Parts: sequence; structure tokens; C-alpha cells
Amino acid sequence: MAESDDYINLNKIDMSLKELLTEMKDISEVIVDLAYAALMFDSEDIAQEVEDLEEEMDDLKYAIRIKAMMAARTKDDAMQLSGLLQIANAAENIANAAADMVRLQEFPLEQRPFLSFILKESEEKIRMTQLSSDSDMVNHTIGELAIESNTGMRIIAIKGRQGWIYDPEPDIKLRAHDSIIVRGTEDGFRELVKYTSGKEAWEPEEVATDG
Amino acid sequence: MDEMERKLLELKNTSELMIDLAYSSVLFNNTEIAEEVIFLDKRMEEIADEIEEAILSMEPTKEVLVKALVLLNLKITIEKIGESAASIADVVIRGFSQHPVISMSLMDSEVLTERVEISPGSSLSDKALGEIRLASRCGMFVIAIKRGRRYIYGPGKNTILQEGDTLLARGPEDGAEVFRKLASGKMDYRDL
Repeated sequence: MAESDDYINLNKIDMSLKELLTEMKDISEVIVDLAYAALMFDSEDIAQEVEDLEEEMDDLKYAIRIKAMMAARTKDDAMQLSGLLQIANAAENIANAAADMVRLQEFPLEQRPFLSFILKESEEKIRMTQLSSDSDMVNHTIGELAIESNTGMRIIAIKGRQGWIYDPEPDIKLRAHDSIIVRGTEDGFRELVKYTSGKEAWEPEEVATDG
Repeated sequence: MDEMERKLLELKNTSELMIDLAYSSVLFNNTEIAEEVIFLDKRMEEIADEIEEAILSMEPTKEVLVKALVLLNLKITIEKIGESAASIADVVIRGFSQHPVISMSLMDSEVLTERVEISPGSSLSDKALGEIRLASRCGMFVIAIKRGRRYIYGPGKNTILQEGDTLLARGPEDGAEVFRKLASGKMDYRDL
């Protein structure tokens, strides 16, 4: 075994310094939400995704170190790039913490009932709602619906017929009976459920199109 | 919810605010916000100590021990998240966050932090955050308010906004756009 490729994912090395840091920051945010979601819904699938993302962070970490060293021309560069690496490192530590958190699943559910209670009381909560076939969100993409700017609920994962999609891109289409896991405030969630249940028609405000 | 669970919840909420503030301090190269993150990290240590004391005061039955173990583990991971935020803030305080790539990457992120001032005539002024419900109306979650020289971090539902306040809020790009219009008075929140 042991080609160097096994240790560093080469397509990460091809990413730019900027892309690497953006990716690490984005993962550091979604991974914590996913970790809490894994605990709340006692989902091994979501826990697995947390572990996969943590491994991806590892690849990103090495790639960003190498890129940062290549970018340093002067002492001043090096100083500022050391700051960049410290931020990257912190993002990776957050991912590690999220991975540690999902390991709490090793405790049987009945021994941690208070956990989901705590998670339900947070300011921004992680919740799940299922898309009714009556909902007119069905067959629209997340981007078209601009769900986050209309309700404040950020979709962190979707479970559909084809399995899970984590941190979905705007071009992902919602289907009837998809379960969506979202993060946001209580009243944002109530708002969202009106539409996912099909009780109210989705009337996107000019928010999405208004330039 | 018992005392300990309440403390754990406070620890969790603090860690989340710290992450938001830490990335914002980098984006705006703002030492004051970075200092607040460091302050919150110290506050987290106090809460963590209180949780430990509370665990020690429990009657050690088998059931309680398992609960204590879960709580302790969760406490440690949340603290780790807070420490990571503090480490990000530390970069700003040292003045090492000025490489252009850093702010460029944060601006390309899925989650943006927007900074806007409430203009005279904005529908937001003299309103409580709980009434405006910025998060459910335009997806923006207010993480801090600068009023004069003072900051209000992690404002609550009852915080009343004033003309001249600078709001720091996190959310998606299209939400940020609406947020700017609300603050400038070009749009009224009641129309959303």
C-alpha cells in the first residue's frame, strides 16, 4: 500500500487557498448542526456523515498547509498566512468536536433523554419536517424557493427516496415526502411547516428575484 | 429542565454565538468583537466549572453516573467548539488576519455576515427584535448590535433597535440584500 496519494487527497491540493478556507469554514458550520441533528434524531446516517466530513477536513487541512507555505514570499506574507492557518486549524478542531459529539450515540437512547430536550430549548433549533404531496414546494429547487431568506430556516439535510443529501446545493429539487432537517428559530419553523404541510400556498416574496 | 441542563444549554448557546462572532471579527478585522469572543470563552469556563460542581453533588447511583458521563462528554465537546472560536479571535487580536485571501474566503461562504446601519425612517427603529422577526422574515439572525461605542452581543427578543444602531447579522446572500433595504428604509418589514 502506501502511495502518497493515500495520505493526501490530490484534488484538494488543486484547490486554491481561498477555496480551501471557504470550504473549511462552511464545513465547520454545517458539521456542528449535523452533529446535533444526529443526536436529536438518533440517526446513524447523519452521524456517519459527520465522520466523513471530519475526514474531509483532514484532507483540507493538509492541502491548506501546503498551499499556504507555497504562497509565502516574504516575512509579512508568512505572518498573515500563519493567521490563515490558525483559522483553518480552528475550523478543523470544530469538526473534531462535532465528531466527538456524535460518539455520544454509543450511549443507549434511554440514558440520554435529556439531550434532545436541551437541543429543543436552544435559541436556534434543529427540527425536521416532511413535505406533504399537497405542498406546492414540491418539484421546486431550494434556490427557487429561497427558503432561508423567506423563513430563516436553513436546510442542513434532506432525506428522500435516494437517501440523504447533506448541506444541499440551491439546485436540489424538493420531492413529495422528502424529510428536511432545518436549523432556525421557532417562529421560522412554524412558518415553514405551514408550507411543507400544504396548508398554505407558498408565495415567495420578491426576495429571491428582486435585484 | 434541571439546573445542570440549563447550564449546558447556556454553554451551547454561548459556543454558537462565539463561532458567529469569531468569523465576523475576522471578516471585519474587528478587535473589539474578537475581545468579546475571548471574554465569552472565560465565561464558558465558569459555566463548565459549575457543571462539574453540579455533577459532583449528585447522588452516585448507576443511572446518575451514566447521565453524568454523557453530560461531561457533551460539556467537553462544546468547550472545544468555544476554544476553537477563541483561537480564531486570537488571530484578529494578534493582527494576523489581514491576508486578503482570508476575507475573500469568508465572503464566498454559504453563510454571510452582513453589517448594516439603521437609517432615519427605517421601519426597524424603535421596534423589538421579537416583533420584527428578522430571521423568519428575511433569514437574517442578529448576532450583535453596535450602539454608539457599545456593543450588545447576542441580543434577545426584547432588545429594541434604535436609529443609528449598526446590526451584525448572519444569513444567506438574498436575505442580506433585503436586510440592507429594511435598514435603509427602502423596504418596510411589515410588507414581508
